[in-house]
Amino acid sequence: MTVVTFIIHFVLIFILALGIMVLSALIFPFAMRRIWGFIGDRYGPNRVGPQGLLQPFADGLKLFIKEDITPSKANRVLFAMAPAITFITPMLTVMVIPFSPGFTIANLNVGLLYLVAVGSFSILGLLLAGWASHNKYSLLGGLRSVAQMVSYEIPLILNIIIIGMLVGSLSLDDVVGSQGKVWYIAVQPLAFLVFLIAGMAELNRTPFDLPEAESELVSGYMTEYGGLRFALFAAFIEWGEVAVWSMATSALFLGGWRGPFGGNAGWLVLKVLVMAFFVIWVYATFPRLQVDQLMAFAWKVLIPISLVNLGATGLFIILMPDNFLLPIAAFSWVSVVLLVALFPGLLRKALLRKRLRQMENFKLETTEA
Amino acid sequence: MESPVTDRSLAEDLRQRFGGAEGAEAGVQAEAGRDDAFWVRPDLIHKVLAYLKHDIVPPYSMLFDLSAIDERERVHIPRSAGGFTLVYRLLSLEGNRDVCLKTALGGEKPTTASITGLWPAANWYEREAWDMFGIGFDGHPHLRRILMPPTYEGHPLRKEHPARATDMPPFELPEAREISEEEALQFDPGEWGMKRHGRETDFLFLNVGPQHPGTHGLLRIVLQLDGEVIVDAVPDIGYHHRGAEKMGERQSWHTYIPYTDRIDYLGGVLNNFPYVMAVERLAGIEAPERAQVIRVMLAELFRIASHLVWYGTFAQDLGTMSPVFYMFTDRERIFDIIAAICGDRMHPNWFRIGGVAQDLPRGWEKLVTDFLDYLPPRLDEYDRIVMKNRIFRARTQGVGSYTLAEAIEWGVTGPGLRACGLGWDYRKKRPYSGYDQFEFDIPTADHGDCYDRAVVRVEEMRQSLRIIEQCVRNMPGGPFMSDHPLACPPRKQQTMHDIETLINHFLGVSWGPVIPPGEAAVAVEAAKGLNSYHLISDGGTMPYRVRIRTPSFPHLQMIPLICRGGMIPDLLAILGSIDYVLADVDR
Amino acid sequence: MEAVLWPLLVYFAAALALVSAILTLSYLLGQRHRDAETGKPYESGIVSTGSARVRFDVKFYQNAMFFVIFDLEAVFIFAWALAVRQAGWTGYAEIVIFIGVLGSALAYLWRQGQLDWGPRRRRRLAMDIPKENDRLRG
Repeated sequence: MTVVTFIIHFVLIFILALGIMVLSALIFPFAMRRIWGFIGDRYGPNRVGPQGLLQPFADGLKLFIKEDITPSKANRVLFAMAPAITFITPMLTVMVIPFSPGFTIANLNVGLLYLVAVGSFSILGLLLAGWASHNKYSLLGGLRSVAQMVSYEIPLILNIIIIGMLVGSLSLDDVVGSQGKVWYIAVQPLAFLVFLIAGMAELNRTPFDLPEAESELVSGYMTEYGGLRFALFAAFIEWGEVAVWSMATSALFLGGWRGPFGGNAGWLVLKVLVMAFFVIWVYATFPRLQVDQLMAFAWKVLIPISLVNLGATGLFIILMPDNFLLPIAAFSWVSVVLLVALFPGLLRKALLRKRLRQMENFKLETTEA
Repeated sequence: MESPVTDRSLAEDLRQRFGGAEGAEAGVQAEAGRDDAFWVRPDLIHKVLAYLKHDIVPPYSMLFDLSAIDERERVHIPRSAGGFTLVYRLLSLEGNRDVCLKTALGGEKPTTASITGLWPAANWYEREAWDMFGIGFDGHPHLRRILMPPTYEGHPLRKEHPARATDMPPFELPEAREISEEEALQFDPGEWGMKRHGRETDFLFLNVGPQHPGTHGLLRIVLQLDGEVIVDAVPDIGYHHRGAEKMGERQSWHTYIPYTDRIDYLGGVLNNFPYVMAVERLAGIEAPERAQVIRVMLAELFRIASHLVWYGTFAQDLGTMSPVFYMFTDRERIFDIIAAICGDRMHPNWFRIGGVAQDLPRGWEKLVTDFLDYLPPRLDEYDRIVMKNRIFRARTQGVGSYTLAEAIEWGVTGPGLRACGLGWDYRKKRPYSGYDQFEFDIPTADHGDCYDRAVVRVEEMRQSLRIIEQCVRNMPGGPFMSDHPLACPPRKQQTMHDIETLINHFLGVSWGPVIPPGEAAVAVEAAKGLNSYHLISDGGTMPYRVRIRTPSFPHLQMIPLICRGGMIPDLLAILGSIDYVLADVDR
Repeated sequence: MEAVLWPLLVYFAAALALVSAILTLSYLLGQRHRDAETGKPYESGIVSTGSARVRFDVKFYQNAMFFVIFDLEAVFIFAWALAVRQAGWTGYAEIVIFIGVLGSALAYLWRQGQLDWGPRRRRRLAMDIPKENDRLRG
């Protein structure tokens, strides 16, 4: 490879990654507002351009030329670094996604590991944003987001491992490659379910949008950010992450670029759009969880399920090294059905804090202590 | 425990216990012509109140209202009055009766004993009396301004305080003052006896409001946080204060009606209602039947409208982003009807002294019946998307609960009280405006938590629909306005026929009615609880004193009690479930 | 594909440069003003009490610790996951023990109440409220 071809190659890749970010920042927030509008019996933005299609550009331009305020008490360096760090994260993770047969920007043999390792970079950005702002809402929002993302990182990783076991490789190319006959969502619906939930939590999406819970923390870690830095958080990062996460989910469970009539990148795009629609739909319909419920759900429900699933998957693989997909699928489907049947009770235990009454005893305990 | 007072009159009982001498020295004496109002010597008031609360059967367990009157410019002054009168109004839920205790205070800086030890709910009421009248309360834990800013000078409801901005020098806000005013609002934990540090952590003091998306208006709650756990909370109100009571002393009886619209601005005619009924009681007017049914119908429409706003915003507070749009759409349907009848949407200004402003427009039945068909399926759908949602339940069940005893102690009325399992509704207990003619149920729930308050309100909307349906079916004919000479605006039909009516009409329109001296307190079951207007006429064209007892005021006072030990999201759930309007709190 | 790391670093640097460029451009395009309140942190529009830099609830720190522990364990499981077939029953037995230890650690934390984020204290159950109300009503 000559230097010139390398540079061309590099620039193209860079533009591709950037394009994904920009496109998701332009399309998804707008789509969210229109779909949310549709669900809420209203129009959503429809004035700028045909069907309001130019709205994201207008918003972007507005935010671009807005004043960029740094609070005087804030830690200026960290305050400026935070959005940059979170912005780079999806740009880096997108590299290991297989876009179409034979095309992955960086076909790492440890792609899955890379995905979780680099993916958690954004946590750092949010924590810095929350802390550096020197604002109490930001602080609470930042801490909430870290606690939440960190907790849900574990079920996410465990389920990625499960897929890795099925494939016998940590390369995402191999993951997609091995889904020729059947997508892993059919083999491991349980893992898919947990991964989906944990992923939504990683993305701070409803019902896990606590870090930016508007009615509680104003805008959470974004409170002090304005102008383009705000845009970086609110559009680029959040929705860029949604795009990348959707791609990863597609690659892991939904056959990536595979689809009828020969696989190509179009299928991947379609899957990403469907996933994004799902995220928006949930946003428009679900209430928000509370910190304690959220944590309980990760640690008491998702992690135990993932551990058991992990062990069972390993067992089946060793039991029937040649034909393990079928028993795993059977196990996984049965568990999913059981879980769905038992979910209300399980939820009641894990989520519903015991019907409580706090005030008087609280006083009692503080005086005792 | 004593034998029930019903055997002998309360007046006799009180006189025997506290009576003593006659005349000005008397410990307790009944007000002239009334058996539920007593003048009590200032040194005895605490004892009498304690007796009424604890020792009598049935007990007067709720402090319904506490306010003051500046008597110094009053012409028709009661015999026992001094410079200021403190008015304690108690409510016995079991006995379904009221009692009003008055105590005369003299001097320019009157003081009396605080009753915060007796009723925790007295805390804010006494602060309000101090703020508005400069009446001191010995033994009050935090006697400081509540509605006016801490830097304010003077006590606005005193008669010497100007009522109009034109009576005062122009308001100016130079930068230095702006800064000092802002700094005066800084919260000082020490003043409230709060520690800054816990054993292992520092407490975080977080201002939620006045400019905050979760507080539904200009409310400030200072939270003392340990992590996300609320150690203590201090609500700070007054940011929405507009001096509605003072304005009442400057508006004619008639022209004050639009001001009442803006007290609970979601309640519309539910504010007109107690006011005009109180004036009618003073004037001795009976509104005609048709007017009464129109009033009931509009009141119930507004109850639904108010509950719909609460429903949507409550769901939104908990993070459900869509229902609020559905409910506002439904509310627009109601406003279409209201606008067709009243000409305005949120502030109908529709009730009049002696009736309503106009007759119902042609075709109103169709509008209302269409709505009666439209809403029930929508309510069923909201049950599915909001009330039955598991996350919604997990966020609200067991959160912000209080017992019935606490509810009564703190003056909670309305859905908040009925969510504790007591079906106490003014419309049933003391039917006004013909509510006894209607069939409807009083929904209750048992746990007294956020979820149950929601359950009660949702069911109340269905009951209101029932009432409206009966209004449509049985709307009586006849006049919509009383013929009484004090009814306002006076009827014009006869004015061109005889001079007497012309003069009356002229005076009635230009001055407004002259209401005979007296006192009337009327409450209605508004959307948020008991809404009461206590009017004093000194025989003029304007009220001498307007006291507005709103439900939101005591409800907000409870916030620290029910949110301690919870987390920030709990607080938002609690705020949403209380259903307050800041204009209703601050007046 | 050979494992070369430097293109990744260049890519990282390029992304960083891009963000900086965007931010700088926006900074240059945007207006600038400095009033008395411009630099103050937003706290519902009122003067705040105390600092946002406080000794915070230890819960968050604990949570981070748990994460580090479990995350690290996950890395070991990664290694096994690749070699499930080769490691065979011995490997499986070992990983089961490993996961068992992990699971018991989780159970321990659970029992200890470290996973409960809500205020941990005795609570009068809201279920009791109706009973209490009944008692009051007599």
